[in-house]
Amino acid sequence: MSRDWQPDFEKLVDEHQSMVFSLAFRMTGDRGLAEEVAQDVFLELDRNLGKIESPEHALNWLRRVVMNRSADALRRQRVRGMDLWVEMDENHGAKLEPRSSPLGARLEGLLATLPSAQRAALVLRYQEGLTPDEIAAALESPLATVKSNLQRGLKLLRAKAVSHLKEYIRGT
Amino acid sequence: MGLEPMDDFERELQQGMLRLPAPPYLKRKVMARKQARDGEKQHRRVVFWQRLAASVALCGAVGGGVMWHNVREQRKGEAAREQVMMALRIASHALNQMNAQLEEHDDGK
Repeated sequence: MSRDWQPDFEKLVDEHQSMVFSLAFRMTGDRGLAEEVAQDVFLELDRNLGKIESPEHALNWLRRVVMNRSADALRRQRVRGMDLWVEMDENHGAKLEPRSSPLGARLEGLLATLPSAQRAALVLRYQEGLTPDEIAAALESPLATVKSNLQRGLKLLRAKAVSHLKEYIRGT
Repeated sequence: MGLEPMDDFERELQQGMLRLPAPPYLKRKVMARKQARDGEKQHRRVVFWQRLAASVALCGAVGGGVMWHNVREQRKGEAAREQVMMALRIASHALNQMNAQLEEHDDGK
């Protein structure tokens, strides 16, 4: 822990806005809602800036808080009777930025149809490249639950890919 | 799980899930909201101190008023006691005079 490090809010926003927005967008599936979540997360960071001890702490703090806030936003949407993923479903991939791989974009679209706990684990695994231990810390979940969500999510995604993306998949 | 080498499917998934660029106005909006919140916090702090100062002034005024009233009542009480003592002294003096005259009258007989 380096006590010499002084958090610079503006710099932290610059460095992490893409990560925060991407996680929020992939969890909520709604651009507007993701922007709102990202703004709220950064304002919360500003309120807690005194407690941030290092750049790694800031990164982990942001990951944990954006996942929590996204889950809260999804819950609020469901309470209001709007399950955004029902609206998005097949079109989700088309709304994203252009990809290097069309299969990757379609896979991401299918990812949106997974249960939120599995989606959270997979997003942190494949977007952020975290290990199961790190995912467990970010989601504040037991390691066994995270591993189970990763396995089940990946299995479900493979099954969906086989049935929906036959034109791309060969022998998965 | 997770630390094992990725297969083609997982690699495709990883390729498809690169970080998205944040909207260009996101940072501006965050900074504007932060500034607005800081301004509001500053305003609330000023209002708090103003209210505190007004409360202290009001308490001082009320306390001063009560104290002044008490002092005035005390002075009135003292003045009234002085008047009563004066009346008693006059009455006592009058009774003494009357007593002396009666004694002179009795001696004359």
